[in-house]
Parts: sequence; C-alpha cells; structure tokens
Amino acid sequence: MEDYKFLFKVVLVGNAGVGKTCLVRRFTQGLFPPGQGATIGVDFMIKTVEVDGEKVKLQIWDTAGQERFRSITQSYYRSAHALILVYDISCQPTFDCLPDWLREIEEYANNKVLRILVGNKTDREDREIPRHIGEDFAQRHGMYFLETSAKEAENVERLFMEIAVELMEQAKCKELPKYDGSLGPINGKTTSVGDSSCCLRS
Amino acid sequence: MSLSLLLEKYDVSTDEGLQKALNEIEKEETEVDEALSGVLSRASLLEGRLRTASQAYTKLTEVKTDAQVAADMVDRTANLARDVSAKVRQLDLARSRVAECQRRVHDLIDLQLCSAGVEAAIKAHDYEIGAAHVSRFLGMDPGSVAAARARGAPDPRDAMTRAANTLREHLIRKFEEASRKEDEPSVDRLFRLFPQIGRAEEGVELLAKYLTTQTEAAIRRACIITDVGSEACVFADAITRVVEAAGAAIERARNAHLVSQAYGLLTTTIRILQPSVCAGVRRVYNELVAARRLESDPQRTAMSPLSVEPVLTELALIHSRIWLYFMFLRRKTEVDANQVNETEKKLCMEKVEKIIADCDLMRTAQDILGHYLTLERYFLEESVNKALKMATPQVGVTTSSLVDDVFFIARKVIRRAVSSGSVDGACAVLNDVCGALEQHAARALRRWLRAPPLEPLALAPPRDPGAPPDAAGDFARSLNRDLDAQRLLYLAHMNEAEAGAEWAERLATEACAAAGGLARGQAERDKLVSCAGGLASAAAAFRAAHDLALGALAQAVQPRLGAWAHRLADPHPHTEEMEDDADALPQALEQFTETARAQISARSVDTLLLAALTEIATRAEAAILHNKYDREGGLGVERRARRLAGWAGGSVPAARERCARLTQAAALLALELPAHARDALLPTPRLAAPHAKDILARRTDFKMEEIKRLKL
Ligand SMILES: Nc1nc2c(ncn2[C@@H]2O[C@H](COP(=O)(O)OP(=O)(O)OP(=O)(O)O)[C@@H](O)[C@H]2O)c(=O)[nH]1
Ligand SMILES: [Mg+2]
Repeated sequence: MEDYKFLFKVVLVGNAGVGKTCLVRRFTQGLFPPGQGATIGVDFMIKTVEVDGEKVKLQIWDTAGQERFRSITQSYYRSAHALILVYDISCQPTFDCLPDWLREIEEYANNKVLRILVGNKTDREDREIPRHIGEDFAQRHGMYFLETSAKEAENVERLFMEIAVELMEQAKCKELPKYDGSLGPINGKTTSVGDSSCCLRS
Repeated sequence: MSLSLLLEKYDVSTDEGLQKALNEIEKEETEVDEALSGVLSRASLLEGRLRTASQAYTKLTEVKTDAQVAADMVDRTANLARDVSAKVRQLDLARSRVAECQRRVHDLIDLQLCSAGVEAAIKAHDYEIGAAHVSRFLGMDPGSVAAARARGAPDPRDAMTRAANTLREHLIRKFEEASRKEDEPSVDRLFRLFPQIGRAEEGVELLAKYLTTQTEAAIRRACIITDVGSEACVFADAITRVVEAAGAAIERARNAHLVSQAYGLLTTTIRILQPSVCAGVRRVYNELVAARRLESDPQRTAMSPLSVEPVLTELALIHSRIWLYFMFLRRKTEVDANQVNETEKKLCMEKVEKIIADCDLMRTAQDILGHYLTLERYFLEESVNKALKMATPQVGVTTSSLVDDVFFIARKVIRRAVSSGSVDGACAVLNDVCGALEQHAARALRRWLRAPPLEPLALAPPRDPGAPPDAAGDFARSLNRDLDAQRLLYLAHMNEAEAGAEWAERLATEACAAAGGLARGQAERDKLVSCAGGLASAAAAFRAAHDLALGALAQAVQPRLGAWAHRLADPHPHTEEMEDDADALPQALEQFTETARAQISARSVDTLLLAALTEIATRAEAAILHNKYDREGGLGVERRARRLAGWAGGSVPAARERCARLTQAAALLALELPAHARDALLPTPRLAAPHAKDILARRTDFKMEEIKRLKL
C-alpha cells in the first residue's frame, strides 16, 4: 500500500486552449510550459499533498478540449470526485460554452461531484469576462469559483489545495458504512477511504 | 784465447811450450779463418736481405701515400653523399610540387573538359557521363580553382556550374518526362544520378512525387467500395488497401534510396506521400460515416445492440489498421536512419513523429475512435439493460444469469477496445464498463436484494414436544410455490453479487494484461492501470450488495433464533424426551446448513452460521437471567448448551469460543452446590465473577449468602 490515506480523482474540462494543461503542469511540476500543444485524449498526473498532516493523493486527469475527443473524456466524469470547469477570461466563446459543459457534467458525472468553475489567464490584458460575471455564473450553478493564471502561478496552488481540503472534509464526514441498510452483526465493516471508490458515491 | 793467456798457459820459454802455443795459435787461426769465411759467406746473404728491406721500405712509403689519398677520398665521398641525400630530398619535394601542379593543370584542363563534356553529354542525352563529369567537378580540389584564379585566370568554375545547372535542369525535366510516361527504368536510372550531382534530396523529392502520383491512382482504386450496404468490413478493407498502397510506395522509395545510398531521407518521401494517404482514408471515412449513420445519435436511430456489433468490429479494425500504418512509418524511418549519425537519426525520428501527429490521417483515426467509443458505450448500455431486463425477477423464475451476461458483455467490449490498438480507447471503455457494472448491474442486484422474500433460508422452529407435527403448515407452505421461487431467485441473486465481485477483480487483471501491450511508455501504462483499477469499485459495489443479502438472511432467521434461544434456556424440560430435546437445535441447524450449502457459497453459509450462533448464545444467556431454575432445569439447559457447542465445534469453528461461554453459563446453572462454581469455570473462566454469580442466583435452591461468599 502506498503512503497516502486519501485518493481523489480530479478531472479538468473546458474548451480547447483555455489552459487546462498549463494549470495542471503549473501545479504538478511548478512550471509554465512554453508552446504547450493541444492535449490528445486524456493525460493523467499525480501529486500528493498534505492536508492537516495527512497525505492526500490527487489523481489529476487533464482532458482534451477538442470536440473529437469528447467520447473519451466523457468516460472520466463518472469516477471524478472533483470537476474543474475551466474557461479563458480573455475569450468570450469559452465562457459561452459553459452551459454545454454543464449539460455534459449533468449527464455523465455523479450528481454529488464537487464542481469548481475556473476563469484562467488573469494575467492577460485583454480580459473579456469580468470577474463578477464568472462569479454569478458559478453561484447560479452551485459551483465554487476561482480566477487563476497558470502563467503567473496565481491561485493555482490554492485551487488544488482547496479541492483537497474540501474533498477530505466530505470524506471524513461520510466515513460511515458506504451502503445503507446497516447489517447488524454481519457487516461491521466501514468504508476504507483509501480504496479507489471513495465515499462520494452512494 | 788471448796471447797473455797463452803465455800463461804455455811456457813459451820452452820450445815445446812454444810449439804448443803455436799449435794452439794455429788452431785458433784456423778456427778464426773458418769463422771468418763463414761470416763472409753470410755477409752476402745479409747484403741481399738488406737490399730487399730497403726496397720494401721504399714501397711502404708509396703505400702510405696511397692510403692517405684513399682516406681523403673516403672523406670526400662521405661529404658528397650527404650533399646528395639533401639534394634528393629537395628533388622529392620538387617532384610532388610538380605532381600537384600537374593535377591542378589536369583539374583545370578537366574543368574545361568537364563543362564541355557536360554540354556534350547533355546534347548526346548521355546523362551518366554528364553526371560523372559533375561528380568529378564536385570531387575536385578546391585549391586548383583558387590557384588558377589567383593567377588572374577567369574563374573556371563558372562554366562548370552553368553546365551542372543545365544538367540538373535536364535531369529534372527528363525525370518528370519519365514520370509522366511511367517509364520505371528511366525513373530509376535518373534517380540514381541525383546523388552524383550532389542533389540527393532533390532526387528523393522527385521520386516521392512520382510515387505519390502512382499511389494516388492506386488509392483511388482502393477507395472504390462496391457493396456499401454489406455487413462485411468493406470500409476497413478499403482503408487497409489505401494504407497498403502507401506502404508499398514507401518500400519502393526505400529500396531506391538504398541503391543510391541516399540515407536518412525517408521522412522527405513520407512527408510528400502522406497527404494523399490522408485524403484517401478521409474519403473512405466520409462514406463510412454516411453508410453506417455514425453522425446520428445511436439512441435515436434505435439500432439494436446486435446490429451495431459488426460496425463496432469494423471501426476497431480500421483504427488498428491506421495505427499499424503509423507503426510502419516509425519503423521504416528508424531503419533508414540507422545509416546516419545519432543526431541526424534523432532528427529523423522527430520528423516522422511530427508528420504522424500533424497529419489528417491522425485526425481521422481520432474521429473513428470517437465514433467507436460512442457506439461502444451505446452497445454496452443497451446490452446491459437488456440483460437486466431479462434478469428482472418474474413470477416463477428461479434462476438468474445477470452477472454471467454482463461480464460476458464486459469482456467482449474490453477485448474489442483492445483490438483497436488505442490505449485511450481501451481506457475509456474500461471506464464505461466500470460504470455499467457498478451503476447498472450491481445497483440492480442491490435493489432486488434489499427486498428479500419471507424467510429466504428457513430455520425450523422449535417444536412443542406435546404438539403434533405442523402438517397443515407444511402443506400450506408446499402449496406456496411462488414464495419458494422467490426465495430461490433471491439466493441466486445473492450468489451473483458474490460472483460479480470476483469477476470484476479478475476482469481488471485480464484487461491490464491484454491492453498492456498497447502502451507506449510508462505514462500510458499508468493510465491503463488506473482505469482498470476502477473495476475495484465495481467489485466493492457487488460485495456491498452481497453483504446486504447476507444481512437480510440473518435478519430473517432472527425470530426463530430467538425462539430457539428461549427453548435452550427453558427451565421446564420435558424429561421423557430428554435426548430429542437436547438434539433438536443441532438438528435444526444442521438442516438449515444443508439447505444453505445447497443454495449459497460456503463462505456465506459460514458467515451466516457464525452470526446465528452468536445470536442464539447471546439471547440464551440473556434469557437465563430472566428464568428461575431448579437443578433439573439447569441440567437440561446444560445438556442443550453442550450439544449445541458440540455441533458448533464441528460445523462452525469460528463460533467455538462463543459457545464455550454459553456452556460455562449453563454449567453454572447445573451445579450440585454453589461451591462447585470454581470448577465449572475451568479451565478458562469465560464469564466475569459478578455475571457468574448472577447466573448462580437463578437457581432457586442456592442460598444468596452462599453465592455472595463465593470467591471466583
Ligand atoms: N497568458 C496566459 N496564457 C496561458 C495561460 N494558461 C495557458 N495559456 C496559454 O494558452 C494556450 C493553451 O494552453 P493549454 O494548457 O494547452 O490549453 P488546454 O486547455 O490544455 O487545451 P486542450 O488540451 O486543447 O484542451 C497555450 O498557448 C498556453 O501558453 C495563462 O494563465 N496565461
Ligand atoms: Mg491540454
């Protein structure tokens, strides 16, 4: 068994070019890759962080935004514990597509999945989406909201750490038998949160 | 003898003496005369010798003079020799300079000849000669030309360069002509000349263009699909033909390169050829999309799972064919680049990767994979739903093959995804399979198992010894076939849930093994392992469903267990049927066990029995504390407890400990005297002292003070 107590799957989605891969690489490798090519299919990276002295392993799935990879990326929604929906604050169309993404999430993801809306590229001068517009949208759809810059490393660490903290809290408060209908003397087991199916699902 | 001596010796005064002396003297005179004549005779000899010696001396003087002369000569020769070798060296140098001069002169002459020769060769259409001249020019010592120029001569290269350019233009024109005429021998002949005139890459490009034109024709033919409606893999076949035509062209180019030793240039060929391959495949793809209605939502077209299977197989096949073609490009480039240095080789490999990544064929492959996955998901869901529908509990149905069915489907789709050759495809299908298993199959089982029928596994109730057998009840039960069927089905589902958990785990291992070969690099392998690991949560869902059923079974026998516990603690034994009474519970349990073993897994039976015995023991101990016993009553309880423990010891080893405790409690009840309590708790007391005393206190004939005084 590896040395971690919690394992969470975090999936990033959003239009092509909004900076999903850059966010992930900024967080996992601490760099802003020059000339980052479009993601093909799905990439995955792992980073273990510490929350309240406990090791939390984040399995981060970076999906391709291009339409033709949709059927690949959709298959990753279901087992996600957190979904990061990214748009580019300097590109209106990426914001306009958010309802489509929400529909995807509705259809494929678990309805209890933690959802975070992220407006990326705050370093850019040519902002098209004011912060409050993004915030409003997030609030209306029951999502957390954060603006980031993968380039300037702004809020990137915070984004993933807050997800880790939130997921851990959820996991801890549900550290009860995973399936209801407690079994009396036969099934005294409780869910081991370390296993791959965490307690976010019923 | 001297005279004085004579005079002494002889007395010359005497005659005789005188005579004697005279004689002596005469004798001596003779002797002297003789000696003198001897000497005289030798004198001439000596004289002769002396003469010889003097002659020799004269000669020696001459020799000495000669030797001196000779020595002088040798000295002079040595000096001469030294001078000569220096001269020779100078001579060598001079000669090599002469040779160089000659070569340069030749070069210069050649240069003129060459340019003239090239022009002549062009006129004569003898391009081999022309190319040989150019090759000669290219191999020429650049110093020659420089030297010529240094002397103020007009640059002789100008003419040559002009000639070489003319030749090149001719070669290109001729090559294009030959290409148009599809004159293979000329194409080959002309191609070989390009490396000679220092234009290898240009030749490779021309050849590639020629081959591309040819391949385009082959691709056009390959794209023709006569029987679009056919269920056979006509589109996969067409695409296979297209990439095979491209493969043949690349092989053809590679062989030509090999002959003229143009290495490391295969990527140039691929770059020029690739767009035609892309266009060909795209054309077939467009037809495929239309013919198989891939753009429309499969849900809406309401295709049956059965009817989409051939399409799925075909899509996976197409994808794998394209993948194989890409592998072919990588491999051929590598072999070709093995002839050049490491840096160039690396460059070649990067070039081919870039061509592959950027070409439209890659995009087509991704589109195909997208359609495949959408359709595969539809197939999976429809098939699983169908299996679920068939497995939905119905009146009179007692068996279920839901888990067999869904795992059959799961394996099939995973295998098909692996056959596509794509790691991303295999991963996505694994994810979908996990979803189908967990959210459809396991969830359905869980739903059914949450609502158990009445007593899915029945434990016979304790019979009132006085009462006759419950014949009427048995008869009624036997009539209720429906209930029996429900029970059987429930247990079947329970078994399925258990099997599902095992299957899910096995499937994960199988999938990793099957798809592992597709992964290029650690990242892809990690991705696969992680996606296959999702099956663990499906296994957990099945296991939870199974646990739910076990819980329900345990729950269902609770009332009977309670009844048996009361019977066990009964203070009023029916002594006339002592043996029967004591054996009734083990018999009932044995029967229950037999029935259970026939229906559910041994592990489930063990779990159930352990729970049941724990329940009986706990309840019986509790009941004891509510009853009052005389000795006989206590003995009855003890007998029943011992029989139970005996049975458990053989059948449910895990419950031995729990039964031993009950047996001790019963032994306390059966004591003759409270003072024997210590012995009853041997060898290991399983009851705390206050508890043991509470039990002793249930005996009406024991005195309270006595019990209190006991040291336990
Ligand atoms: N100025 C600025 N540019 C960014 C930032 N993040 C990403 N980019 C640029 O945006 C482009 C796309 O970034 P990616 O990370 O590849 O985008 P993606 O969302 O992963 O795209 P797909 O993989 O195609 O879905 C790149 O050129 C990045 O350099 C940012 O924070 N600021
Ligand atoms: Mg990306």
